[in-house]
Amino acid sequence: MKFNSWYLSSFLISFVVLIPIITVFSSFFESTSNYYEILKNTFLMEYIFNSIILLISVLALTFVIGTGTAYLVSFYNFPGSNFFKWALILSFAVPPYIYAYSLTAFFENYGTAFTILKNLFGDANYNKNIPKFDGMFGAILSISFSLYAYVYILVRASFLYQSQNLIDLGKNLGFSKFKSFYKIILPAARPAIVAGLSLVAMETLAEFGAVDFFSINTLTTGIYNSWITFDDLAFANRISFFLLLFIFSLFVLENLSRRRAKYHLNSKGGFKQKQKTKLFGKSSFLAFIFCFLIFFMSFLFPLGQMLYWTIKFPENLFDLQIIDLVLNTLYLVVLSSLVLLIFSLISNYGNRVSNNKSLNFLSTISISGYAIPGVILAIAFITFIAWLDDSIIKSLGFASIKKVFIGSILGLVLVYFIRFYSLAFNGIKSGYEKINISVDESAYLLGYSKRKTFMNIHIPFLRNSLLFIIILISLEIIRELPITLILRPFNFETFATTAYISASEDLLEAAAVPSLFLILIASLFIIISSKYILKENNE
Amino acid sequence: MSKNFFEVKNVDFKVGGKTKVANVSFAIEKEGDVICLLGPSGIGKTTILRTIAGLEKIKKGSIELKGNVLSSEKINLEPEERNISLAFQENSLFPHYTVEKNILLGAEKNKGKKDHQVSLQEIIELLDISLILDKYPHEISAGEAQRASLARSLVTQPDLLLLDEPLSNVDQSFKEEIQEKLKKILKSSKITTIIVTHDSYEAFYLGSKCGIILNQELKQFDDPYNVYHLPNSIEVVNFLNRGTLIHAEVTSPKSLENKDLGTITGNFIKPFPIGSKVKLLVQPEDLHHDDKSNLKFEVVDRKFRGTNFIYTLKTPSNTLIPVFVHSHHIHQHEIDEKFGIKRPIHIDHIVCF
Repeated sequence: MKFNSWYLSSFLISFVVLIPIITVFSSFFESTSNYYEILKNTFLMEYIFNSIILLISVLALTFVIGTGTAYLVSFYNFPGSNFFKWALILSFAVPPYIYAYSLTAFFENYGTAFTILKNLFGDANYNKNIPKFDGMFGAILSISFSLYAYVYILVRASFLYQSQNLIDLGKNLGFSKFKSFYKIILPAARPAIVAGLSLVAMETLAEFGAVDFFSINTLTTGIYNSWITFDDLAFANRISFFLLLFIFSLFVLENLSRRRAKYHLNSKGGFKQKQKTKLFGKSSFLAFIFCFLIFFMSFLFPLGQMLYWTIKFPENLFDLQIIDLVLNTLYLVVLSSLVLLIFSLISNYGNRVSNNKSLNFLSTISISGYAIPGVILAIAFITFIAWLDDSIIKSLGFASIKKVFIGSILGLVLVYFIRFYSLAFNGIKSGYEKINISVDESAYLLGYSKRKTFMNIHIPFLRNSLLFIIILISLEIIRELPITLILRPFNFETFATTAYISASEDLLEAAAVPSLFLILIASLFIIISSKYILKENNE
Repeated sequence: MSKNFFEVKNVDFKVGGKTKVANVSFAIEKEGDVICLLGPSGIGKTTILRTIAGLEKIKKGSIELKGNVLSSEKINLEPEERNISLAFQENSLFPHYTVEKNILLGAEKNKGKKDHQVSLQEIIELLDISLILDKYPHEISAGEAQRASLARSLVTQPDLLLLDEPLSNVDQSFKEEIQEKLKKILKSSKITTIIVTHDSYEAFYLGSKCGIILNQELKQFDDPYNVYHLPNSIEVVNFLNRGTLIHAEVTSPKSLENKDLGTITGNFIKPFPIGSKVKLLVQPEDLHHDDKSNLKFEVVDRKFRGTNFIYTLKTPSNTLIPVFVHSHHIHQHEIDEKFGIKRPIHIDHIVCF
């Protein structure tokens, strides 16, 4: 076999991405501090129990919201249906931790709800009548309203590709609308539903900000605490190992479903464009109310709350170094996007031209970085650098590299790279899937070298996909919290870390301004990317 | 060194380590010749073209063009280093360029190398793609994409042009016209070409020689006439599906005896000892209809083919024999009717196995 430079580059990139996973698995057998004994006898079962309760509840809620809204906007015309089909994605702009701040701010004693009631009905003790959305219930709501869009986007795409023939078949068999929905439409979209829910599950298990805010002890917060409070990296890695096993099984499930989803989408032959049914009267009103409620709860409510506080406490706006935060965020976004795009392109092209099974396998495993919670990645990265520094670098007589990678932009971008590599890799891969391999071969036969084919044929064709990937990466980095929190350089803040720090100091009003900026910037990116998604779906 | 313009010598054509066609040898004697490789789908015809183009490697034998080795166990010229053009069966146009730009990229490759025997404009007109020049590949039909891809290959003026099922996506009504035009272009541009197809009529029309690939082997490589009338194996007969094999006994150097048809005379292609039990190839054109004949069989099927009918007759020993009758024949026979065969039966080329 000829090992060309493309093959070697792809191999190296995939290997680097795999380092944290290898670190977590190898750390499993290392000895831990007494914290393990303390935890085992006290909170470990609680961590596991809470993680499972959170997971099941979020899955149930996101399934109902995501599938319900996707069904309504895909199959029916009602007032606002065209607006909702992209507006419902805006919930992505609100990370669970910001949603958690809004929920608390609104319903807490003497919070926004209290103020509204007071202004409407005068002074009274409303606090006892205002429901409290904190603890586990608050975490479930925050995560669900933030993440249901995963299910919504995938299921809607699946509904869009369902042929009218399928619907007609249901009518022909005498099925009612409801029976058609659960007997035909829903089973046909099953792979998309499973894929969406798997993503929600991975994100839920990885969620740090919201559960930390509501003081829910889950495996992820346990990992963070064992590292930050007890300085026990080995034990942090040990919990990570179990969490990873769980997440990997979800990851495999998601991958298998996606493969089947592709099979469903390939039904070009006999595809008949779907005719949307126009709703009238009560059903039209109910469809509108359902979608509006979800849109309101997931986006307008947190946006409104943050806006309200920003206006109410304008001093926070002036206290904040907004330009610095914008520049820091922009700096991370540009640098990370560039690194991710360049290496993902090389890796994808290397896989394409090498057509080597072991490399394909390595790439498939390496993209699992997205499934690994940011907390685990950051800690595994620190573990690896510490090991590299102690065992190799110092023994060779070189200066310590810890400062180069830990608490530095380089380290931060490197871990972002590992975390979001699958996003860039898969995005480019799906773009590549649209280029038949015979296109490359035609280029070779026209005298193009591999490099020229890459630069002159692939890059121009992938241009739109690359743009879309940059938007997605930016969106993720703007919202990202635990990695930035753990690995950022001293005094280097983003909107996310500023909001988190204020909130963790019980200064929710101060968290409002960075949260508001975060939502607005993320919304802008979502609006741009939703145009791409709609175009991809030929809408 | 080979005197042939192009030659494949004892090559095993493999893809992914699996042999598709083994020990293949054939040659194109002169520059400008067109040959066709014929065989069922999935047999390895495309693999042969891809290997010749340099997209697959070989571990046995050699492939030579103009006396230079392109592929062998030790040598493997990269695709971009061979002046060979391959028009793929599927749409291989560059998706982000218009049809015109795609074709011009082909013309760029030829820049300064050879004079165009046929101008770009002529190719565009002949292939009837002038109306789609400003369209993108996703905006045109599969047939149009195939013709555009063909145009791109033609304008490169390669030393060797490889066409993989070039007209498989072209509408049937348009196919003959395009076949004629393609033949005209290939002839006037003097481009040596290998065409792969599963359509025997296309192969017989376009190629000066035809290779039949069956069961991982190149079974026959010969003139189209010989391939059709003088097939060298039962597999070739079965593949062309234009006749039937009946049991017979050789009774003299110029005759055989079949229990349903009686005596059949003619010239044996390959001699058999008298008394040999053989299988005789009877093609639809070999037997002639005669209403007055007392040799009558039952009609079990009738296929109308425009210029002719092909009747399928059942003999007393339950053998099915095809018989060609011109469609302007004075009357037609219905199924279950009796159909007369002219006697004595004489077949010019007797093909037996």
